[in-house]
This record gives sequence, C-alpha cells and structure tokens, in this order.
Amino acid sequence: MDSEEVNHKEDLEKNSDELSQEELEEEVEDDEADMDPGPLIKHPLQNRWALWFFKNDKSKEWTANLKLVHSFDTVEDFWANQALQLKLVNRKKLYNHVQKASKLQSGCDYSLFKDGIQPMWEDEKNKDGGRWLISLNKNQRATELDNFWLETLLCLIGEAFDDLSDDVNGATINIRNKGDKLGLWTRDARRSDAVMRIGHRMKERLKIPAKISLGFQAHSDTATKQGSTARDRFKV
Amino acid sequence: MSATGSPQQRVAGREIPVRRIADLSHLPSDYSTTPGGSIFSTTPGGSRIYYDRSFLLQCRNSPLTKSPPPNMAKIPGVTVPEGSETKEKSVVEEKKPNPPADPDDQFQMEI
Repeated sequence: MDSEEVNHKEDLEKNSDELSQEELEEEVEDDEADMDPGPLIKHPLQNRWALWFFKNDKSKEWTANLKLVHSFDTVEDFWANQALQLKLVNRKKLYNHVQKASKLQSGCDYSLFKDGIQPMWEDEKNKDGGRWLISLNKNQRATELDNFWLETLLCLIGEAFDDLSDDVNGATINIRNKGDKLGLWTRDARRSDAVMRIGHRMKERLKIPAKISLGFQAHSDTATKQGSTARDRFKV
Repeated sequence: MSATGSPQQRVAGREIPVRRIADLSHLPSDYSTTPGGSIFSTTPGGSRIYYDRSFLLQCRNSPLTKSPPPNMAKIPGVTVPEGSETKEKSVVEEKKPNPPADPDDQFQMEI
C-alpha cells in the first residue's frame, strides 16, 4: 500500500459517517483507477435473479418466513452479495455460519429464482412445473452441499441450459436434519424433452456419478402426495 | 484461444484461426464462445448472454465485487448479525472500518 492510499484510508475513516452508499462505491472505484480498466465492467446477466431466504418459524405464516435478500443482474453483484454476507459475518466471529448453506439451521432454505417468480409451487410460473431433486445424506452436507449449490447458482446465472434456459425458473436448497435437498425448478413438467435435457445437463455440471440417479417430480404431485415423496415423472 | 479474461484484457492482435471439420460431432466444445462469455447471435428469439463456469469464477476477484449491493435486505443471521434487527443501522454503516483488522478476514475491504 503506498502512502497516498494510506492517507486516503484515513480520510475515509474520518468521513465514513457521512458517506452515502453511492460515495462509498465511488471511493472504491477511485482506488482502482490505476488498474487495467478491463475488469471494471460489470457483466450483465441474461436475467435478473432474486435470492430468497426462508427460516422455519412455526409461529408465523409460511410466507412471512420468506424473505427476499437481494436481486441482481450482473455477475459482479452476484459475487458482491456472496462476499458481503461473508464479510459482515466475519466481523463478528459468532456469525461466520450464515454465508454457507451448509451452516444454516435446519429448517432454512436458500432459493434463487428469476426476478418476478416467487420460490413456491403456487406461483403462476411454477404451478405447472416440477423439480429435479438431489437428496443429500448427512455426510454430504460437509463435503458436497456448498459445492453443489454454488455450481447450481453458476448454471442459473450463466444460462448453462442454452436454449432451454427459459424452461428453468430457479433452484432451492433445503437444509433439514432428516436430509438436505437441492431442487432445480423448471416451468412445465409436461415438456418431457426439455425436462430430460435439463436433468442431464445438471447431472453433468454437478459431476454427479452416472450410477446415482436423480428424479424429477411435478409440483402438482408433490402437493397431493400420499407418502413421504412424490413419484418420479422422469429420471436421469 | 482460451476462454479466460474479459475481451478488454485481450489487446494483442492475431490472425483468426481456421479449423475445418468434416463432421458436426467434431465441433470443439467451446465453438462460438467468446472470451468472457458467449453471445449466440443465432439463438431463436435473439441473442442470449451466456457465461461459462470458469469466467464466472474469475469475476469473483473483480474490485467491483467489493462494493455492497445497493438493495440488500437486512436479515439477521443472513446479511446482518443476529440480534441487530431492532437497530436502525444501514448496510453502509455496517461497513464502517472496524479496527483492529482481523488477519483472517479475507474479505477485508481495501479502502
């Protein structure tokens, strides 16, 4: 760090009470003025995405437990969101558990959906759809869960499903003591060809071994199921 | 041509490489991708913005990811520490420099 930057930092500390968010962002950009301007472009995403957090509180309505954390439409804002969680959390060591899905309490969910689609079956865009489901065992929470979730997020925001990206609505990760679940939600369970191709792509991107089979359930079946799990409409 | 770096980072000129194939199955996997993302201009319905995994991961280190998103909700235990819901603190105030710096805090902002 050169002396100019040190002075700059002191100025910033003095003035930080008055700094608006916008000014703070400008400060950060000023610091990088000497750098190659190339990386300082925010890369637009095809879609705007919303990150949701759900915490199971049985004293409240289901929808009251669902909170919109943040929506974004650039690659950099996606990462800023992830990093900010980590940063705020690290400041107080007690809270370094919130950033990673694997450290959420049982009963919590993260969801990432296209802007305008709520992470629930009842949403108009979800009601005819279904989900590819990955059920994780207890050991996999420590070894696989965060990687699976990150890879899923990267598939969504990077539009990894090519011409079928419009068939993908979002994804949800459920943290549960009885077994964590990751679901990739598509918009129409009747579009068998699209659903199958999305399932294959997901399996490939998450590097799930061929011998492990994934099932796809329609939300309408899950909502009316008799047993613990709805029947699989498709498998990959 | 590798798929690393944004287009702006690539300044050196070079000839357009030519590769001829006899069968569609011999198409390279990165066919029609551009460094830093892929614009498929022939997608039905118009172009679509794709980013491959390695490029997205690379963007994680951009200085622009160090600014807080402007519209972040304050959710105790997720974006702000648990128990802070009663305080009317803005996200910006949360970000005040907080000496002494924690050497383990890899997300300490360079300001």
